[in-house]
Amino acid sequence: MKNKLFEKYFVFSPYFWLVLFFFIPLAIIFKISISVSEWGMPPYQDIFLFDNGFKINTTFENYVYIFSDYYYIGSFVNSLILALISTFFCLLIGFPLAFYIATSNIRLRNILLVLVVIPFWSSFLLRVYAWKIILQNNGILNVILLNLGITSEPLQLLYNQYAVIMGIVYTYLPLMILPLYGYLNKFDLNLIEASKDLGLNRIKTFFKVILPLSVPGIVAGSLLVFIPVVGEFIIPEMLGGSDRLYYGKILWEEFFVNRNWPGASALAFSGIIILVLPIVIFQILYSRWSQKNEI
Amino acid sequence: MDNNFLVIENISKSFGDNKVLENINLNISKSEFFGLLGSSGSGKTTLLRILGGFEKPDTGRVILDGTDITNLEPFDRPLNYMFQSYALFPHLNVFNNLAFGIKENFTQKEIEINVRNIAELLSIEDLLNRRIKQLSGGEQQRVALGRCLIKKPKLLLLDEPLAALDKKLRSKTQLELTTLQKKLKITFVFVTHDQEEAMSLSDRMAIMKNGLILECSSPEEIYENPKSLYTANFIGIANIIEIYKKDENFYSDDLGINLKLNKELKNTKTNILLRPEKIKIQSINNLKTSAFNSFSGEILEKSYLGSFTRYEIKIKNMIISVLDQNFNSNSNYNFPKGEKVICSWESDSIKVLED
Repeated sequence: MKNKLFEKYFVFSPYFWLVLFFFIPLAIIFKISISVSEWGMPPYQDIFLFDNGFKINTTFENYVYIFSDYYYIGSFVNSLILALISTFFCLLIGFPLAFYIATSNIRLRNILLVLVVIPFWSSFLLRVYAWKIILQNNGILNVILLNLGITSEPLQLLYNQYAVIMGIVYTYLPLMILPLYGYLNKFDLNLIEASKDLGLNRIKTFFKVILPLSVPGIVAGSLLVFIPVVGEFIIPEMLGGSDRLYYGKILWEEFFVNRNWPGASALAFSGIIILVLPIVIFQILYSRWSQKNEI
Repeated sequence: MDNNFLVIENISKSFGDNKVLENINLNISKSEFFGLLGSSGSGKTTLLRILGGFEKPDTGRVILDGTDITNLEPFDRPLNYMFQSYALFPHLNVFNNLAFGIKENFTQKEIEINVRNIAELLSIEDLLNRRIKQLSGGEQQRVALGRCLIKKPKLLLLDEPLAALDKKLRSKTQLELTTLQKKLKITFVFVTHDQEEAMSLSDRMAIMKNGLILECSSPEEIYENPKSLYTANFIGIANIIEIYKKDENFYSDDLGINLKLNKELKNTKTNILLRPEKIKIQSINNLKTSAFNSFSGEILEKSYLGSFTRYEIKIKNMIISVLDQNFNSNSNYNFPKGEKVICSWESDSIKVLED
């Protein structure tokens, strides 16, 4: 009897977790996003008022405000583009690496996997800061370029969108490699040999056999990179410049600089809906497709 | 017949310090069904993979129909390879698996005609829209075969073609495979660890051990006249008896009897092979043992195999296996356990082993 209870609790514990740390905070954010802003602590009015009889005190003005100003929408679009580009480069670098790791012998494979994971052992902030030192005007990279005579004056490598993309690709690469590796690890190498035997060269074999059979790994890795990058705050803040504003930064400013909690909440909530809805739809379509194709 | 259709010349291959193939030489004729038989680790699969182009030999050449293919990539070789696991593409249906290798060189219409023809040949017309996971083992084997044959290869390599099938299906498929091969006149080279499979499929076969070819001949020749002790033991049941020269004839210490051979021997001491079905078994009541090639012993074990009964007969220091064909339906014909019997054989049946 006790065991049964334990089992039930055990099975449902992820849902408790999800409710406690995702749905309840989300509901709170939603509540703040529809409340009326005011100066004070907290900087918004309650949504239920009881002083002159019961009254619901809500507004959708915060949503109207952020959707009517391109400043907000633009930053979100910038973040989406950043996430797309970063995911693409992670895939471009991560796929060959994951494939190489998955197909090398067991000793080399373990060494390479450790090398992929090692960056996680040091602080994320330190690693991004290290890039700042490498890329700055009198940084290592510029010193090398100057000494080799490739440039006559230091290049502005830091504080632009390219530095941001590079930092993100560097940081998120393991998140692409690991799920891809997990999937490619099970890949039947005879299929590649069979394709070559049937007359397809390496490139055609890649597009006709390896790529279609790797779709689940690619999807898993891409989502794992894409979703957090949309809301990424620290890397654009440290490596980025004023050329492009990103969603995470705007959110931060709205909360902590402007102290516009309802506006920031509306921004956060809209972001989640805009991001999550297409992904949920994609997941449903994709699971149907993969069931049909038995991959 | 053109004996030089496929020439394997001085092929050697090592993986690190491990010598897998040592100086392999083989000549295979056009339209031959050739078997490579050996236990695991004998190098037979490595040899097949070298023919397929998946491994590069350290030394030697492979010549197919007059062309040196040693350095060609798998996709440039006019041959096909059927994998033991079949390696069918799980993301494609049967039709697209069959059409996989011809998609580039043919129009849609030609592809369809080719696929229909090959599906008809292998009686898998009804499976064309199925996915690979919906197929049984036997059906998968046909699709794998069809995917290769549709390319009309000069040479088909088969890695353990029947190993994944259950016993009943295996003997049926064996027959189909030989019929198909004779019909298409494509040269087949296959690898197996199953001696029965090798015997029933091959026109000729090579016995491999530790990266060497011990013998290469027809199944009949290898069964009846094996050269080495290893082959004699590996193929079928073998009674191996050590004999030495004594006066004009030979004597076996283990059996305690004299033997007569039809041929002269170089060595004074040697091993001979006596196949169990060559030994005649008779009741002791009727006969006495003769001076040569006969002994009396006691039946230690017997197993009834339907068309045959296998006896294990104890004599002096040895146990001799005898296969006796069950001519009569009368069960009394069988000798019971513990009975004393006389075993005898012709001088011709004794095969001298070289090592």
